[in-house]
Amino acid sequence: MACLWKLRNSQLVNKLILGITLFFLSFYSTATTLNQSLYIIADSLVTVDGAKVPYLTFNDSPTYSQSNPIINLMQWDTLDLWVYNTDNTTHDFVIKGVSSVVSIPATDSIFLQTVFTTKGSYIYHDPSDFPKNTYLGLAGMIVVKNHNHASFYWNIKEHNSDWNTQLVLGNIVSWNQYDPKYFTINSVSNPNINANPLARITGQVGDTLYLYITNTGLSIHSMHFHGYHATIKYSSKNGAHVGREKDTFPVYPMETIVLQIVPDKEGEFPIHDHNLVAVMGNNIYPNGMFTTILITP
Amino acid sequence: MRKLLIIFGVLGMVISSVAQQITTTNIFSKMDMGPQHVLWDGTNTMLMGFTSLMMTPIDIPGPTLVYTEGDSVELKLRNMSQSASHTIHLHGLDVDQWNDGVPHLSWEVGHNDTESYYFKAPHPGTYLYHCHVTSSLHVQAGMYGMLIIKPQNANETWDGGFTFDKEYAWMTSEIDTIWHTDSIINAPHDTTTIMRLLPDYNPQYFFVNGRAEYQLSDTNVAAITSKANEIVLLRLANIGYFGNRFIFPAQLNAKIISSDGRPLPNIEIADTLVLLPGERYQVLLKSAVEFSDSISVDYFNLNTQNIENTQMIPVNVSASVSVVEAFASELSIYPNPVNDKLFLSNFPGEFLIHDVTGKSVIQGSISSTNSSVDVRELSKGIYFIKTDNTTTKFIKN
Repeated sequence: MACLWKLRNSQLVNKLILGITLFFLSFYSTATTLNQSLYIIADSLVTVDGAKVPYLTFNDSPTYSQSNPIINLMQWDTLDLWVYNTDNTTHDFVIKGVSSVVSIPATDSIFLQTVFTTKGSYIYHDPSDFPKNTYLGLAGMIVVKNHNHASFYWNIKEHNSDWNTQLVLGNIVSWNQYDPKYFTINSVSNPNINANPLARITGQVGDTLYLYITNTGLSIHSMHFHGYHATIKYSSKNGAHVGREKDTFPVYPMETIVLQIVPDKEGEFPIHDHNLVAVMGNNIYPNGMFTTILITP
Repeated sequence: MRKLLIIFGVLGMVISSVAQQITTTNIFSKMDMGPQHVLWDGTNTMLMGFTSLMMTPIDIPGPTLVYTEGDSVELKLRNMSQSASHTIHLHGLDVDQWNDGVPHLSWEVGHNDTESYYFKAPHPGTYLYHCHVTSSLHVQAGMYGMLIIKPQNANETWDGGFTFDKEYAWMTSEIDTIWHTDSIINAPHDTTTIMRLLPDYNPQYFFVNGRAEYQLSDTNVAAITSKANEIVLLRLANIGYFGNRFIFPAQLNAKIISSDGRPLPNIEIADTLVLLPGERYQVLLKSAVEFSDSISVDYFNLNTQNIENTQMIPVNVSASVSVVEAFASELSIYPNPVNDKLFLSNFPGEFLIHDVTGKSVIQGSISSTNSSVDVRELSKGIYFIKTDNTTTKFIKN
């Protein structure tokens, strides 16, 4: 009898293993490989008032852009990533919490292959001499989804232009006296954020919208939504906050969060940092972290 | 049959008119003519702010607005500030765009004008209101207050939520006195641009309900007094530009139950709570034992995370009151809720009425020939009448 039960039990286990394998294979069979290149380029950030500030970014082509690319994947996708260092100094590269740190000498390159099994939002950055190189602009986001809803992406950050100048000259700054003057989403400030289709949230009443936020700056930001509450779907810092429905969302340095918004009415409403110093740009209101969500019927 | 139809028709009209009754709140936006607001250390500073009465001096925070879930509200703003336009943004209420109080997306109220915001009081919880014209400046100048939505049962946090015995509302903020000078607050209002050059922000004063230091020991400002096993609901809101870290004594068994007007999916039991600008939280406190201590509030810079100031708010939990003591000290008031006159019995002497933020609104005395208080000027909401030995809650309709 015991032998019969053992046999039946092992058949059950086999079926279970087969089921689980098929379940994961069903995901994996739809998974694709994304070939992506990133070029480390030193250039300038043009601020909202036209100032040029020394800056470095990862770019998806050898042509400089002041905004780091947002790498978009579906869960179980593979990322084949080449990182080219066009700068005249060594940089490091890491996908925070996913890969280990790799050093890239000047004019050299590295290859990294990663399968993303967990949905969420990740930061890739240069962790060398932290926070110097991350602060100077070398930090972007990787988004891993398991849905096809409309999605928007914010890489939020602040800048002290004098510090950027000092840092690229090799001088030391006092990190515990940080006093930023410019506040950006995807490297631009109000009124230019609404012109960035990745950042400007648009949709229709009843849509399910996702907002992926990464804070690659040094300050804590407190993003406030007018018009709608949103639900926290993911937080790299506070997993226990998932499921909270709020209108104001703390985003800590090097934190990523994912929000879901289902608009119940039409309208155009602001979303902005409620540290109201951060809605200014070089002390000018409202040239900072301020954008609007636009919902049509 | 016809008579019956007429009766039902009339009844329907009456019910419909009652259901659509609008609660109107008047609010004034004003600006000090000079540095006349006295801070805790005796320094005078200049404010822009909201008041519920025309002649009342500006204070921070502005009057607490209290509504009941489902109320249809008209919030009538009369701008008497002599200069800038103002709005009221109903922070967290998710009202429609027209009533959201953002000037370039709806409208603003110019000097000497009166306009109304309309909304239906949504989810019970703790909210804010503030001016959204040049918001970095007008909020710092003092144009903010707390907005509370109560459920139908005012002693519950929300319908079917937690019950509580008393409540306190703490609003945190800061002042940089450089921003409160005439040249900044009273700069000519340029109607052609929303852009405005403002100073660096380095606050010197850190507040709970617009007060600090020794002032926080006053139970009418912030200090908490309760009996053992009483449940205290603490409403927290941060309108400042710094982060706050609240540290609760372990005896209070702090339970974080909601944020931004929504219950938390999982209640958090914690002795520390961080509140960032614009956030609100509701916390339940209950001590089983008699004790005295303080709740500390750190104010930290969001760029450096350095703590720039700490305020201490006393908490005194006394032993549970006996039935005999409770009866002897009881102040009898009626009617409650009240529309115009509040009658007091068993009480000759001085009294003080304050709102849920602890701000005193009426002060006076009662004698055998005058046993009532005129409360018609009070906005709708919850108030407390305090005598020498007792504090009693009442609701103004």
